Amino acid sequence: MQAEGEVARIVKDKFIGLLGAIYTRIPRQYRPAIKWAVFGVLLRLQSLATFRRIRKGRRVEFLDFDIAHLEPFETLEPDSRQILVESICSTVSPGTERAVLSGLPGARRSFPYEPGYSCAGAVVKVGKKVSEVEPGDRVVGRMKHTSFSVRPPGGLFKVPDGVSGEEASFMELGIIVLQGIRKARIRPGDRVAVVGQGLIGQLANKFARLAGAGRVIAVAQSRRRESTALGPGGADEYIALAEDSGALDRIQADVVIEAVGSPQAVVQSIQCAVPGGRVILLGSSRGIGRGVDFKRLAQDRSIDIVGAHISAMPDRESSPGRWTYQQEGELFLRLLAEHRISVSDLVTWRAAPSECNQVFETLAAGGAHHVGIVFQWKPE
Amino acid sequence: MEPLKIGIIGAGAIAQRNAREAVASGVARLAGVFDVNHKVARNMAKALSAPFYPTVESMLASPDVDTVLISVPHHLHRPLGVQAAQSGKHVMMEKPVANSLEEADAILDACKTNGVGLTVNYSFRFLPKIQKAKQLVEMGALGDITGIQILQHQYKDPGYWTGARSNSPDDWRASREKCGGGFLIMTTCHIIDYVHFITGLRTERIYSEYGTLCSPAEVEDIISIACKLENGAVGSLCASSIMRGVDQNEERISGTNGTMVLNEDGISLFSTRPVDGLKPGKVHRIKKFPDVSWTAEWVRDFATSLHEGREPAVSGRDAWDNLAFITSAYDSMEKGMAVQVPVLPSVTGAKER
Repeated sequence: MQAEGEVARIVKDKFIGLLGAIYTRIPRQYRPAIKWAVFGVLLRLQSLATFRRIRKGRRVEFLDFDIAHLEPFETLEPDSRQILVESICSTVSPGTERAVLSGLPGARRSFPYEPGYSCAGAVVKVGKKVSEVEPGDRVVGRMKHTSFSVRPPGGLFKVPDGVSGEEASFMELGIIVLQGIRKARIRPGDRVAVVGQGLIGQLANKFARLAGAGRVIAVAQSRRRESTALGPGGADEYIALAEDSGALDRIQADVVIEAVGSPQAVVQSIQCAVPGGRVILLGSSRGIGRGVDFKRLAQDRSIDIVGAHISAMPDRESSPGRWTYQQEGELFLRLLAEHRISVSDLVTWRAAPSECNQVFETLAAGGAHHVGIVFQWKPE
Repeated sequence: MEPLKIGIIGAGAIAQRNAREAVASGVARLAGVFDVNHKVARNMAKALSAPFYPTVESMLASPDVDTVLISVPHHLHRPLGVQAAQSGKHVMMEKPVANSLEEADAILDACKTNGVGLTVNYSFRFLPKIQKAKQLVEMGALGDITGIQILQHQYKDPGYWTGARSNSPDDWRASREKCGGGFLIMTTCHIIDYVHFITGLRTERIYSEYGTLCSPAEVEDIISIACKLENGAVGSLCASSIMRGVDQNEERISGTNGTMVLNEDGISLFSTRPVDGLKPGKVHRIKKFPDVSWTAEWVRDFATSLHEGREPAVSGRDAWDNLAFITSAYDSMEKGMAVQVPVLPSVTGAKER
């Protein structure tokens, strides 16, 4: 039996290898059309075989470095264990999506690539065996920038009444920040510095305040995102390093949240901390730092450095310092429902999906003054 | 709109073509023909059913003529252009506007002083391909322009230089004094014009090398130019009339968001942006363009500009800038160094000249 399985595996590998060899002999310019035709035929055969209709939609795709476009796609309607969610609003995760778009270190993906992982929508259809949600429910979760998603209901959260689709679509970003804030162990009255004032940084301002910080100091290179940072529930003070590079040593924060993701920002964050203070590495670090004097910077000053990336969250068991993804998501939605945190004031660009090329071109160039960018897929 | 009453000064091959296109434009009629070669002028007048004038003076004195189309050797552009303007006639000049910037100044000043219109035959701008390229650039297909490359190679046989094929044989094209230069001022000037038109940019600095390697002429038959545009973009131009067996005409314009190639096949465009309904991230070939007469479009625009009291699409200033590029290229080679391209003082108040 084992030998038969081995033979089958070899035959399958050979067959796939043969297909690959044929495909690579097709002139490059004809490949997308052939691929489209082959997959189109397969999808239609599957549709006939499973009695499921084909549904057409549009989604954002990165076609190549620095090129985003709204592309048509088609897929089968849900099977018995799946649901169909029509998107209302998806939030752009600027750091991660820009990193993939521009091929930054640690974010190399092959193209075309479908970005997006924080999207709210309305359930339109459910499979026969689905009991968790029903048509008409609003849900949020890891869905792409797409007009609809067909997927199992697991991993999605129901959006509470009183929370808009736009607010809910911040959930994944909210979880990223909440798990970092939890590790920061902010005590009442602490001075908290947040280095980096992109979307993650500005959400961190708000959660730090909510966690009891006495003073929240926003630190960024320039003042281009100052007005949103100092908005309701945000930072008390804004420092632009381009104007005052010596400011870092004067900040003396009990807790520093690093929300940039560059080696330089990590060093700057450590500089911001008071001796004995704590630095939370929240940004998705890209690049390798060299030539840093860690003895003088951190060791001599007894700085705690805490890694806090969302990928290190526990799936199931939680502890006081480490909640699960599910717990953080529910908390985020509850805070929104109880109006204890606001996110809509961070939205600087409500874009039509057809504007995605312009949105990502702006992001690739540094994002200008933008903080929160959302794609509006359908009116709420 | 009253049709232009065009008097033809110079009845060479290009004038005959231009005259027919002017009539076809529907906004002009031929009001007379003059050439120092009376036989040629009479034949043309007869063929186009227009009066023959034996002298320039008699044509310029005629109230039946309100515009002149001057197609003569370059060194005659100034005297005839100035004379026509002083006689109150609008001036349509064959390219280049003149042989030197001083001569061009005199023509521009005479037209301005006498309140007459001036345009120069850089009519390739009206080619649908060029108009489309300009439109795409304005729509942002290329982003900020970063570079231009111009290639133009042809073969001009010895008869071209001696005028062997002309109806009025003359070797003025081979003379530096009469022609002002060689292949660059005579032929490539069109491309220089429309590449600047498409990009909307001026050239700021030029370095050139040129030579006369194979032709019976004292002007260049091969030239290579490196240049810097006003926004910092870097460009190059290679042109010659001595490349045997291969005709090559290609312009490449690149920018932060795309690249455009113009050649005999049309336009190839790559853009990171979805412009004009084209999908980003792939090369599109735009091959089909409407069949229009670019010369007729040029005449139509000039007539309309006079009627509306606006500058024509190809203004005296545009032609001056084009000549500034060309004379700077010659100047650079003679000085063996990069030179700044002059700016028309009346436009900028600059003192570059």
